[in-house]
Amino acid sequence: MSNREQHEQSHSSAKKKTMSRRQFLSYTLGGAGAFMVGGVALPMIRFAIDPVLQKKTGGTFVKVAQESEITTEPKEFKYQIHQVDGWYESDPVRTAWIARDQNGVIFALSPICKHLGCTVNWNTHNDNQYFCPCHEAKYSIDGKNLKVAPAPLDEYEVELRDGWVYLGPVKPNSRV
Amino acid sequence: MAQHSNDSKEKVVYVGDSRVKKSGRRPNIPPDYSAFPGKSEAFVPNFLLKEWMVGVVVLVGFLVLVVSHPAPLGYPADPNNTSFIPMPDWYFLFLYQFLKMPYVSGDYVVLGTVGVPLIMFGALLCAPFLDRGPERRFYKRPIASTLMFLAIISCVYLTYVAWDHYQDQLEEMGIVPEHIQREQEARRAAERGESPQKPGGAEEKQIAIVDANDPITSVIQANCLACHGSDYQGNGPVPALAGVGDKFSKEELADIVTNGRGQMPAFGDRLSAEEIDQIAEWLAKQKAATE
Amino acid sequence: MFKAIYNWIDERLDITPMWRDVADHEVPEHVNPAHHFSAFVYCFGGLTFFITVIQILSGMFLTMYYVPDIINAYASVDYLQHKVAFGAIVRGMHHWGASLVIVMMFLHTLRVFFTGAYKHPREMNWVVGMLIFFVMLGLGFTGYLLPWDNKAYFATQVGIQIAESVPYIGPFIAELLRGGDIVGAQTLTRFFAIHVFFLPGALLALLAVHFIMIRRQGISGPL
Repeated sequence: MSNREQHEQSHSSAKKKTMSRRQFLSYTLGGAGAFMVGGVALPMIRFAIDPVLQKKTGGTFVKVAQESEITTEPKEFKYQIHQVDGWYESDPVRTAWIARDQNGVIFALSPICKHLGCTVNWNTHNDNQYFCPCHEAKYSIDGKNLKVAPAPLDEYEVELRDGWVYLGPVKPNSRV
Repeated sequence: MAQHSNDSKEKVVYVGDSRVKKSGRRPNIPPDYSAFPGKSEAFVPNFLLKEWMVGVVVLVGFLVLVVSHPAPLGYPADPNNTSFIPMPDWYFLFLYQFLKMPYVSGDYVVLGTVGVPLIMFGALLCAPFLDRGPERRFYKRPIASTLMFLAIISCVYLTYVAWDHYQDQLEEMGIVPEHIQREQEARRAAERGESPQKPGGAEEKQIAIVDANDPITSVIQANCLACHGSDYQGNGPVPALAGVGDKFSKEELADIVTNGRGQMPAFGDRLSAEEIDQIAEWLAKQKAATE
Repeated sequence: MFKAIYNWIDERLDITPMWRDVADHEVPEHVNPAHHFSAFVYCFGGLTFFITVIQILSGMFLTMYYVPDIINAYASVDYLQHKVAFGAIVRGMHHWGASLVIVMMFLHTLRVFFTGAYKHPREMNWVVGMLIFFVMLGLGFTGYLLPWDNKAYFATQVGIQIAESVPYIGPFIAELLRGGDIVGAQTLTRFFAIHVFFLPGALLALLAVHFIMIRRQGISGPL
């Protein structure tokens, strides 16, 4: 735009201080064009970015295991969560490795490897470590990244009610 | 490319220049207007500005329409729905109505679906080659203009008849168009403070049929289910038979079957009293299971 | 800054003549509603294009949520209309725009017809314009099925039956449109592909030809 105006100005002999007719037309044209673009595009853009602006609902806690089942050795538990994804509702299975630490506090780790998102397994090589088969990443029992992976394993929020372990949303590891 | 390295200010020289020739270009004033000197103006910004002003007005009107009238959405497609009156979009209505006319339906349907439209649209497509005289004013082209006027009038007329007939049909059958019905239900649900019904929600709370193998169900299947839905769950505005025992007693049901109710015809002369008694008894048993 | 970029590109691609070609030409006064109010009839072509642009944009945005699948199609339309912010507006734009574009195109066609603008040398542009009209009707027909509600289903059923009554090739056309024996999953994906890729592609090509011809031949002179 600006280039064209300059181009035009160099053509017109006198550079007036007041707005020239040509300039006025250009500005009005720009205004009308901006209104049309805005009127059409703004609702659509708001429509497109809606997922980002939608209120996140706090994760619900799901009953996973009995407290008595949990030992200091991590155990794999599979449980179903109810997931609403737009118009698609499903009950996908989640996996958690749940264990007690020395103080008897129950914690649950997500099996998603922090390296490239494969799934880790406990104690594959009898070394009391989590091991990811994709790129041989290793984690300690607390989820601390020992090899390859850039960050410790994520943790689930844990709630204990009436002797049952409830798991909530994933959060960054708070143990290491 | 090699030349370019020495001096960046040097103008790029193309070898075998393929750029648009500077000379010999078409003059920028189209040939037509040389006949009207001084009666033309620049496209940008003068002309485009007026065009865009009209665009702005139209856009405002359009947005008002969009905001005030949400796009209609009915219920999910159900091939077994018999109470639905299929209507094409309004701009196909003239064709839809045309195909109902005698001489283009029944044995002559080919004439209606292929013959006449082919001639009409063919003539429209080839208009410049049919109307070849030099005259441009419409009143100096009586044949072309008359044919066009006739075509427009008949299209408008056919569209009007089709729409009118559709409205009559709706009224006669007591049907509310689905998208309106759906909006009304959503509004009522909102007034009651419930969250709007989910699509397919009606199916989730379906009531199971009690005593489905009773011999009387064969009579019900033959007489009732054409309207009440092959699965007893109703059909559009027609209520479900499942769970009807919660709403009416056996005596009331017998009365409804015998004498009809609302849009429902009377069955008193089609079924025997004994059959009606059995039907009413069976229907009265159709209560929602208590949990 | 802008001038430097412009010059950099202009030096290589010589874009000034292109810009001049698009914008810097004369338009006759008789089509300008500011001079004669009755000249507003000359605006319908431009308005058709404007609404077409709205249709293309809103359609592109709608496909962010829509799935062409008989189980999810209705649910996704319902979701985008009632749960997504401005969903009712964007879908409303596409729905009402479809009608408005037909209206505008109809008026534009009538204007061209009654001013005899299709006469020599503009015969070809009339033919291209009519082809655009048919493509638009095709877009309307295929778009009607996509929400997969009862109206969509039954109107398509009827439309395909009309195609089926064509002698000899009718059943073949009908099966091709349905992608099978029934109006179902395969019909929906087919109509989606036609509505979203094939017809818009044809439409854009025809529009380009239409505009290039207008530019070459200019607007027809006053009556």
